[in-house]
Amino acid sequence: MNKTTARLGWLLASPYLIYSFIFFLFPLIWALYLAFTNWNLIAPDYETVGLQNFIEAFFSQSVRAAFWTTYKFMLMFVPIVVAGALFLALIIHSLPRLKGLFSVGYFLPYLASGVASAIVVKGVLSYNSPLNIFFRNHLGMDINWLDSPILAPLMIALMMAWKFVGYYALLFLSGLESIPKEIYEAAEMDGAVGWKRFWYVTIPMLYPSFYTVTILAVGLMFGIFTEPYVLTGGGPDYSTHTWQLEIYNQAFEKLNAGYGTAVAIINSIVTFASILVFRKILEKWGAKHGWE
Amino acid sequence: MPSMVGNKRFKTALLYTLAFIVLIIMVFPYLYMILSSLAPWEQVDRKIIPTKLTLRSYEWLLTGGENVIPRPWLRAFFNSLLVTVSSTLLMLTTAILVGYSLAKLKFKGNRLINNMILFQMFYPAIILLIPLFLIIRYFGLYDTYWAMILPKAVNLWAIFMYTNFFRSIPDELIEAAKMDGAGQLKIITRIILPMSKSITTIIFLFLFMERWVELLWDMLVVNSEKMLTLNVLLAQMFGPYGGYPGPMYAASVLLTLPILILFIIFSRNFKEGMQFVLK
Repeated sequence: MNKTTARLGWLLASPYLIYSFIFFLFPLIWALYLAFTNWNLIAPDYETVGLQNFIEAFFSQSVRAAFWTTYKFMLMFVPIVVAGALFLALIIHSLPRLKGLFSVGYFLPYLASGVASAIVVKGVLSYNSPLNIFFRNHLGMDINWLDSPILAPLMIALMMAWKFVGYYALLFLSGLESIPKEIYEAAEMDGAVGWKRFWYVTIPMLYPSFYTVTILAVGLMFGIFTEPYVLTGGGPDYSTHTWQLEIYNQAFEKLNAGYGTAVAIINSIVTFASILVFRKILEKWGAKHGWE
Repeated sequence: MPSMVGNKRFKTALLYTLAFIVLIIMVFPYLYMILSSLAPWEQVDRKIIPTKLTLRSYEWLLTGGENVIPRPWLRAFFNSLLVTVSSTLLMLTTAILVGYSLAKLKFKGNRLINNMILFQMFYPAIILLIPLFLIIRYFGLYDTYWAMILPKAVNLWAIFMYTNFFRSIPDELIEAAKMDGAGQLKIITRIILPMSKSITTIIFLFLFMERWVELLWDMLVVNSEKMLTLNVLLAQMFGPYGGYPGPMYAASVLLTLPILILFIIFSRNFKEGMQFVLK
């Protein structure tokens, strides 16, 4: 009987095993090899070039742009989305009724395709849009939103914040719901009410949610593709040029498959290291408030 | 103390107003998209609320455009549907089977597979992008539906979710069913699946919407126009058709509305289902 269970276990797990072999393990090994070649995706011949791809990437202007753009996006996106999600969660949490309805409503932007939202953003920011006419006629400001190296990334960060804020709000909401009532009661006895209670009780108690949301938001910044691809193409002046755009351009526009793979490997090392640093920072903050 | 009750009521009303205003802001881009798709062309992006409504943008889409080469917008929609539905169903089925075997069948290698899945989940997929493309091309799958379906036939997150959920189902239930002579397949379809309705709904929705809005992969592996998904076609046409904003909004509605409707239909137990997913 145990034998048949074991056989069935392997059988049922086999879709995963076959898939992982073809679509994970094999490409993984291939990638580690490709990164050290100069293959151009078409030519039958290519040779191994040692570390040349990595050295080239290190001095490449576009790779450096992708590196810094990611942190710029983070600086804009993470505070907006974390504060926004907390705000939405607090609203939902304090409603006596219709919590489900508003949770669903705030979550709806998550369903949007980046392509469709890029079309809306481009339309709303177009030269003769009501928004720009208002700015020109009433404030005397003529703003080229998507041609500015500061505003263009900000617009993309806002687009992404719109998409993810309702999703992250649900994480904060479940955090808020898991704070025991006794803690609030105890805090009240110590005179912590209103803002004081929020600042000294609610926020520290929400540490696990802050941790999860921040790490998710940080990780997300290393995988941006659709929004800049459709809206700005990485410009102006590389200000919205992300890692994924760089890898896509190198491998599939310029056909440098080897070099593109090397950039992808650098990207994952940078991602991994950055997330590790953020985790350490957050854990330190958590330890200060008694979280292990 | 009537004044305090009144005060509290006022606060609640204020809270609902705030919640509602935020809701309007959150759905504003959708409303803008729908209104613009129905607006007369000279009013698109000029007026937030058009003075009259017209279906011209949709007609333009269905006939493939006026002066330019006709584009298969409707076919692109069905391509998206075909690819998303097949891929999502495959991901669900494999996740249920693998999850069941990992949670409920004891066999050597069970733990190893579990750890492999965890490792893979946190592995940056971007490294695999180029070799995956090469594999698809090598197998002659370039520019086919298979290229969009097969690499997205198994989903690690879904396996992970099902494994955790199935672990919470008591073994006694399964043992009892075995005593009654039920085979493993029957146990899965008659006992496990009915118990997993709410989590299946949530996993289905997440898989479906993530697959539906995929851009990079579908853009890479498909080339001929009749194979493109709606998302890819729209992304490609957006630049050159900048002068036709109305139809672009109509296509956006076509891309967005089905998934919104699907989500709203299935969202009855959304909050409860999410509690499990977010744990």
